[in-house]
Amino acid sequence: MKFASLCLIFALLVSGCSKEQNFDERELHLISLEKIFGFDPIHVSDRYSGNENGKVYEGLFEFHPLKRPYELVPNLAESLPTVSEDGLTYVFKLKKGVLFHDSPCFKDGIGRELIADDVIFSLKRLADPKLSAKGWWVLDGKVAGLNEWREKHAALESSNYEEEISGLKKIDSHSFQVTLTKPFPQFQYSLAMPYTFIVAKEAVTHFGKEFLNHPVGTGPFHLEKFEQGNQIIYTKNPKFREKFYPAEGAEGDDKLGLLADAGKRIPLVDRVVVDILPETQTQWLNFQKGKADLLELKSNYERAMDKKNEVHQELKSKGIRLFTDPMLDVTFFAFNYENPILKDRRVRQAMSLAYDRAEANKLFYNNSAFEAQSVIPPGLNGYRKEFKNPYTKLDLSQARKLLADAGYPNGKGLPEITVQTRSETVARQQIEHFAKCMEKIGIKVQAGMNTWPELIKKVTTKQHQLYTMAWGADYPDAENFLGLVFCPNQSPGSNGANYCNPDFDALFRQATILQDSPERTAFYEKMNEMVAIDVPWVFGFHRTEVNVTQAWLKNFKHMEFNHTQVQYLGVDLEVKKELSKKF
Amino acid sequence: MTKYILRRLFYMIPVLMGVSLIIFLLFNLIAGDPTAVLLGKNATARQMAELREQLGLNKSLFAQYLDVLKSAFTFDFGRSWATKQEITYMIKQGAYPSLCLTIPAFVISTVLSLLISLVVAFYRGKGIDLFIRFMCIAGMSISALAYILAFQYFFAFKMGWFEISGFEYGFPDFIPYIALPAIIWILLSLGPDVRFFRTVILDEIYQDYVRTARAKGLSEISILLKHVLRNAMIPIITYVVIQIPYLILGALLLESFFSIPGLGGITLNALNSSDFPVIKAMAILSSVIYIVFSLVSDVLYTFADPRVKLK
Repeated sequence: MKFASLCLIFALLVSGCSKEQNFDERELHLISLEKIFGFDPIHVSDRYSGNENGKVYEGLFEFHPLKRPYELVPNLAESLPTVSEDGLTYVFKLKKGVLFHDSPCFKDGIGRELIADDVIFSLKRLADPKLSAKGWWVLDGKVAGLNEWREKHAALESSNYEEEISGLKKIDSHSFQVTLTKPFPQFQYSLAMPYTFIVAKEAVTHFGKEFLNHPVGTGPFHLEKFEQGNQIIYTKNPKFREKFYPAEGAEGDDKLGLLADAGKRIPLVDRVVVDILPETQTQWLNFQKGKADLLELKSNYERAMDKKNEVHQELKSKGIRLFTDPMLDVTFFAFNYENPILKDRRVRQAMSLAYDRAEANKLFYNNSAFEAQSVIPPGLNGYRKEFKNPYTKLDLSQARKLLADAGYPNGKGLPEITVQTRSETVARQQIEHFAKCMEKIGIKVQAGMNTWPELIKKVTTKQHQLYTMAWGADYPDAENFLGLVFCPNQSPGSNGANYCNPDFDALFRQATILQDSPERTAFYEKMNEMVAIDVPWVFGFHRTEVNVTQAWLKNFKHMEFNHTQVQYLGVDLEVKKELSKKF
Repeated sequence: MTKYILRRLFYMIPVLMGVSLIIFLLFNLIAGDPTAVLLGKNATARQMAELREQLGLNKSLFAQYLDVLKSAFTFDFGRSWATKQEITYMIKQGAYPSLCLTIPAFVISTVLSLLISLVVAFYRGKGIDLFIRFMCIAGMSISALAYILAFQYFFAFKMGWFEISGFEYGFPDFIPYIALPAIIWILLSLGPDVRFFRTVILDEIYQDYVRTARAKGLSEISILLKHVLRNAMIPIITYVVIQIPYLILGALLLESFFSIPGLGGITLNALNSSDFPVIKAMAILSSVIYIVFSLVSDVLYTFADPRVKLK
């Protein structure tokens, strides 16, 4: 009897505590596919942590939420900077009246106004050798005097933020000047990245090492709850400055209803709940149950779309929408140029010709990806749609001929080649498919499975023959992709192929100091096509991002750099109430 | 007994030194370069060298090992290299959800398994015994992942009886979230537990003292509960207590699929990011818990069988 009573109490507790949906508050429910690494912007290198930081912090600039190609627009800055003729000096003006969140770190707990000192402090933090910021690379060698300041303080007990740096000068309370060591037009993009989000000195000092759990920014939301592996909740910042939903967008945005909220004050929701769900089944079930408004699908696309890449009828009846948009990324199998066999261009070209990309696209991306012809993805200057790499087509006879010319007829004399990859099911399947393709020209390939640190170690210490990876854009400029094959960036840098081509390097040096112009685009195109022929990688794909949204989610449009996107999203409570019956 | 306990606790010192040495050697010989992972895809050689210096990886191996030993004995593990969070806080935050899930599931599965084992021992060789043994083997033959995927889909998503995922701190808020994973844990444990307990009980049932008890006219139930179960307690205690450290360390798969922020995922994440302070903390914590609970099982033997003396 007692046991039965206990069971009954347990059942009541289980059923009684289930949460009901809230239809009175404009609340967004999102899913983060990965764990969040805290709220210190200088350490935010992954997209998911960047998105969370972008809810509480802001940068000087952001990317327009609707316009494409991506357009940099002022955020905390009043306008885009004025740049000197030599491209070295940038003058920035800040918006007035921007307030930090209320926090005990400030006098009387009231957030104060953002000033130029905060920006200079935040940039110095990024350079502080004691903090080992992941984002240091965005300023490394670029701002006059900053590297010297960093080097000097590396040897000292603590860093002196009061010490002036020639390249970072305050002009008045709301304006400052940055002097670069050499022209670097991409510098402005750095100021839209999470690394350079602005923090308050008082917060950093007050919270010390716990600062990463107590963010104090100027952003549209306050952090209400942060459970690292579980859930993050934000509430609307009541003191958020007057910021409005854009009145202009890309062509066709109006018809899609993306301008319906034009001119409305943002953020459009009062609360944001982010559940951290790393497992795909859990993400999908929560979305289908209506517990998430938006979901990015990383795999198992067939759950949402059919072979024509259209949303399944059953989901359509619930109002669920599917978005497939090209990403600014590239996947590749990189050769190691320090391997004497793979240094032979004919071997690399033969392997590229034997790789069946159409089959790989079907198997791994539901035919939604674009075959890469070189390193630059579509959507960036330097990508030419008409350009077809002669070594990315499937041509086994030419591959065999090249292999024979290299002295390995039908692969004879070639040792087994190991492709290093991550210990993941899909990664192994991709290598198995690659091995099957290579077998057709007599090359034996095996998979080297590694944890992420092991893989990185092999690549950075040049202990690999081939490895697979993907690269996503840090900012919308082809320089970010071409740098992957720039000789000075070879291992342990981002050029894991250790590709060195003096002609390419000379062009790279010339092009990357130019402002965006037809001249620079021509340089980028030339470099992109030069690399394509050299085949330092077996070029893979430019993938598409697949998102599904509930019918009640308003204003969603794919954004590659979406750290500030949430403030533009809205929820139609009437539609939600109506459709929730179907879930 | 006090002397015995103190001596066993003293043994913890060489064990911890050994564990620290093994983890240290494994990390230095096998694991990837933490600096490349920690600094991300744009790391430069110089930045990596600076970070190596800051993390103390440029010190002599002996000096690094001394640091590991120090943290093992002071339980001051510092901060995670990857998340920058304080490790003690991470463990505390993770232990609560893990224990909320594993303790009730473990207690219920153990009690249930014992009851079922007594029943099958009572009906040994009969239909019910065969049926339960068959069910145990069938249950054990199916992967834990299959149970998780199927139960989450049918009972949480389709039927809506349970939460699909998540966790709330505090009682009774966490109950809806741990109910389904706890049921899966119980089902997964029943097979091996029942088979083990049944074997132990049957070993006792054929002993001479049982025949004597029967000859004295005691009922079969009384023999099972008062005599057989008591005498079978030593292997049962060993089996049960030795599982307790694993409860604290969490249930990796269940926590991952049900998004319970327990300790299971902490070690895995640390391994994936070469986060040595966390790996070290979790390994040392596991060793200490293991040593403590093996001592607890020794002490419990004396209660189960007064003939056992701890010297």
